[in-house]
Parts: sequence; structure tokens; C-alpha cells
Amino acid sequence: MSSLLGVYIATILVSIVAAFLLVQLSKLSGKGGPVVDKKRIKDPAYSDSYIPADAPLRHTISEEISELGGSLQQHQEISTKLLNAVNEEIEKRVELNIQEVSKKYETLVQEKTKNEDIAWKKYNKVLNDKKKTEAVIRSVAEGLVVVDSEGKVIIMNPAAEKLLGVSSRDKVGKSLLQNLREEQLVSLAKSSANPEDREIELVSTQDETKKILRASSAIVENENGQTVGMVSVLSDITKQKQLDRMKDNFVASVSHELRTPLVAIDKSISLILNKNAGEISETQKQFLSIAERNLKRLTLLVNDLLDLSKLEAGKTELKSKPSSIDKIIQESVAGLKNWAETKAINIRTTIQEGLPEVNVDPDRIIQVFNNLIGNAIKFTPDNGDIVVEAKLDNQGRRLEVSVADNGIGIAKEDLEKVFDKFYQSGERVPSDVNGTGVGLAIAKEIVELHGGKIWAESEKGAGAKFTFTLPL
Amino acid sequence: MENKKIQVLVVDDENDFLQLMTFWLESKGYSVIVASNGESAVGLVKEKNPNVVFMDLRMPVMDGIEAIKKIREFNKDIPIIIISAYVDDPKAKEAIDYGISGVFYKGKDFEEGLSLLEVALRTHRKLKK
Repeated sequence: MSSLLGVYIATILVSIVAAFLLVQLSKLSGKGGPVVDKKRIKDPAYSDSYIPADAPLRHTISEEISELGGSLQQHQEISTKLLNAVNEEIEKRVELNIQEVSKKYETLVQEKTKNEDIAWKKYNKVLNDKKKTEAVIRSVAEGLVVVDSEGKVIIMNPAAEKLLGVSSRDKVGKSLLQNLREEQLVSLAKSSANPEDREIELVSTQDETKKILRASSAIVENENGQTVGMVSVLSDITKQKQLDRMKDNFVASVSHELRTPLVAIDKSISLILNKNAGEISETQKQFLSIAERNLKRLTLLVNDLLDLSKLEAGKTELKSKPSSIDKIIQESVAGLKNWAETKAINIRTTIQEGLPEVNVDPDRIIQVFNNLIGNAIKFTPDNGDIVVEAKLDNQGRRLEVSVADNGIGIAKEDLEKVFDKFYQSGERVPSDVNGTGVGLAIAKEIVELHGGKIWAESEKGAGAKFTFTLPL
Repeated sequence: MENKKIQVLVVDDENDFLQLMTFWLESKGYSVIVASNGESAVGLVKEKNPNVVFMDLRMPVMDGIEAIKKIREFNKDIPIIIISAYVDDPKAKEAIDYGISGVFYKGKDFEEGLSLLEVALRTHRKLKK
């Protein structure tokens, strides 16, 4: 009985001591160096206490070691060394991780900043471009109106507002046709009916001053070729029209002023020469004839000059119609035959078979032939030859006509100058022939007005060939 | 055959031309009265009622177009031949709207003016009948 009690008490005592030792052991480990302190994190659950971060680790190590043999002190030493080593390792790894993450983060931030910079620059550039475009649209003197495919106004610049007498605030988003006066409507409707560039005169009444506008419109297509709208440029051509009218009147009155005295002289002389005013002596007849002849020369010169002025001023309208070049040539030759015969010059014509009709003003083209053939007669000595040829050019796209003679020819350096106004060759030619120096200039204007070209080929002493083309 | 001479009114601001044309027409047997601007022309048509009028287009005080307009207000059928200094005169085209019987270009011979006159008179007589 007493031995059982004794064992019982001993076991209790040992347990107490072991427990006590265990507690001490754990307390000792708890008092680890600064390495351990770093690991303390505040536990949100217990606001005032610190839970060592490695507590679970320490607990695990202690447990495992206490199962091995050895003294408490040995246990402690090993535990501590182990813990320190592990802590160091953990710290190193964490540091590395932090560094890596930091680096990555920095790189990301840099990239982001760089991208943002680029985006900003691009945005600013686009903004500037937009501002420039807007500035251009705003300040351009012509009116600019853009309508969408339904005819609603998208853009209207200040110039357009002024020209049309409306305010863009009222118009943008609304149909362009709304609020415009009837005449304007008709003109605009005309210009939208024609999908190409078309010049229409749009009469706008605004501020009681009548303006004449020219609307030039173009269809706007997207990449797929669909019509998305129409852009119209409106220009104020009132002044231009006025100037044009003034030019017309000027040409008319200058013609009148120049021709009237000539007419009076001409009629006076003919009345006398025709003996309407009584008999005249031979001498009187002679002198009056001289006067009449010179008057004719003067009249021709004045007519030529007026003609050239009108052509140059663009005030000549061609009365074009389909014409046979053969007929035109024959008519011109017939008119000059008598003159050619006085010098025994032979005029031959070579017309290609089956030439198509050309759309030309016959009177004007006859004028060109009269000039070229007349020159040929003038500058060819007696018994010479003139050949008038008409054929299709090499590519068959144009009519090519030439007048060639075997006369005195033209020096190479003068070949271009012959078409200049008032150019006259230095050659002496009989003075009864009219030389105004303007004939070739007129011929050139007429040919070019028809869309053709004219040029000369010649060599001094070896005749001359004048060729001009006419589009078919 | 009419006993009374046919009376022609010639209107032109160029006195020289008036003189020449008058001489010519009278030598051909016509009786001629003259005016040098549109205003006196209208007055003469009212007063003398000539058979035919030669009217110049460009004149001071009242030009040819105005004069023709005014004449047409009270006389719809008197033959009027306009005198023009050159072809393509835009005023000539304008005048056509007011009813004219022909255009006489100053540069042409008087003979042409004469034939225009005769055609105008003949047509006028036909219309009257």
C-alpha cells in the first residue's frame, strides 16, 4: 500500500516539474533576439497584443525536438539555432521577392507613364490638327457647306452664313433647303441633282444687295464608295460678273468708236467714186482710189486687232457645229484663187478619204485657212506651189491639216516668234499685200480655242509648212 | 405706185453718217427725215408717221433700245431696222425682242441697207393687207 502511494506522488511531482520546465522552455524561446521581433505582426483580432509571426513554426520545432533525447538546454539551443536559420532564410527570400516585385512594379509604372505621355502627345496633336482645320474652315473666304446624305446641314462656316443670309445655329442639323428663298432652292436643287462639280449661279437676296454666288458641289464618298454627303463651296462672284459686263461694254464701245469714223470715210469716198455726187475727173478718181485702198487696209487692221482683242479677252463664242473640213478648205481656196493666179501660183489640195466631220466654227476655221494660205501666197515667188493637206494624225485621234509652200521659208530662230502679235518677217514683200502682223496670232487663238495646236516647220529658202490639229 | 414719196426716218448720233445716208437714200428717191437721239426720234414718229425707221442703237440722251420700246407703246407695226456698228453687239440681240425688221451693219455697203429697207416695206405692206 505505501509503495503505490509513493509511485503516485512521484508521478505527480515529475509531471509538475515537466510542465514547469516546458513552460520555462516556451518562455525562454519566446524571448528570442531582434530577428524574432521583426516577425511580430499586429493581429487585428487582438488589438493590444502581438503575435509572433513564427509562433506556429516555433511550436512545431519545439514539439519535434522534445521528442528527441537530450537536456532542456540542448533543446533550447537547437531550437533557437534552427529558428534563427529558418528566419534568416525566410527574410532573405522575402527581401528578394520584395525587390523583384518592386522592380516589376517600377517597370510597370514607367511603362504606364510612358504610354500616357505618348497618348497625351497624340491627343494634343490631333487636337491641334482639328483646331487648324477648324481655323481654316472658319476663316476661308468661300462659304463651305457640308450636308449629309439626307440634305441636313452638318457644317456651315461663317462665310457661308454671310453669303446665304442665314445663321449656322439655325441651320446645323436641319435640312439645308428649309428657310432658303425660292430662287436659292431651285439653284441648290439643281446643283445637288448633278453629282459632279457643277457651277451654278445662286442669286441670294440679303441686306437688299443682290449677290451672285457660284456653288461648286462635290459628292463625298466613304471608303466603300457610298455617298455620305455633299460638300459645296460657295464663292461670291458678283464683282467678277460686274467686271465681265464692263469688259463686254468696253469691247462693244471701243469697236463702235473705231469703226464709226472708218465707215464714214468709206461711204463718203464710195459715194464720190460711184459718181453719185456728180462727175469726177480722172485725177480725182485716181486719188480717191488710193484713199479707198488704204482705207480698206486700215479697216482690215482695225478689224483684226478688235478680233484678236476679243479672242484674247475670252469674249469670243464659237458657233461650233459638225462641219466637213473638205468643204471649208475648198471655200477658202476658192476665195484666194484669183490672187494666187496673179502670181501663177498653183494651189493643190490633198484630202484623205472618209474623213469624219469635226465640231468647229466653220467661219473661224475658214479664217485660219485664209490666213495660212494667204501667207503662203505672199511669201512664195511666182510659179510656186502650195499644197493643202488634211488627214488623221498617227493615232487617229485628231484631224491634222497643213499648208505647205515652196517659198522663201522662215529662219529657225523665228519659227516660234511668227505666232507673236505684230511679228512681221523682215522680208520685203510687195506692199499691196496686207500685212497686219496679227493674222497668225489670230489663227493661233482660234485653233487653241477649238482645243487644237498649231506650229510651223521651215528652213530659210526651203519653203514653210504650217500645221494645225483639231480634236475629233 | 404711190404718189407720195416713201418717208424714211434715220436716227443716228453720228452726223456724218446721217448726212451720207440721207444723201444716198434721197438719190434713190426716198424722202428722208433725221434725228440724232432716241428722244427726238420718238417725237418724229408720233408727229410725221414715217414709213420706216433706221435706228442706231448707241446714242446719248435716249438710246435705240429705249426709243424702240417707247415707239412700240403707241405704234406696233412701223418697220424698224436697227443700225449696228458690229456683229455680235449684245444690244442688237436685245432689240430683237421688241420687234424689228432687220439689222443694217454700218460696215456694209449702202446697197445692203437699201435691200433691207425694201424687204421691210414689202413685208409691212403684205401684213397690212
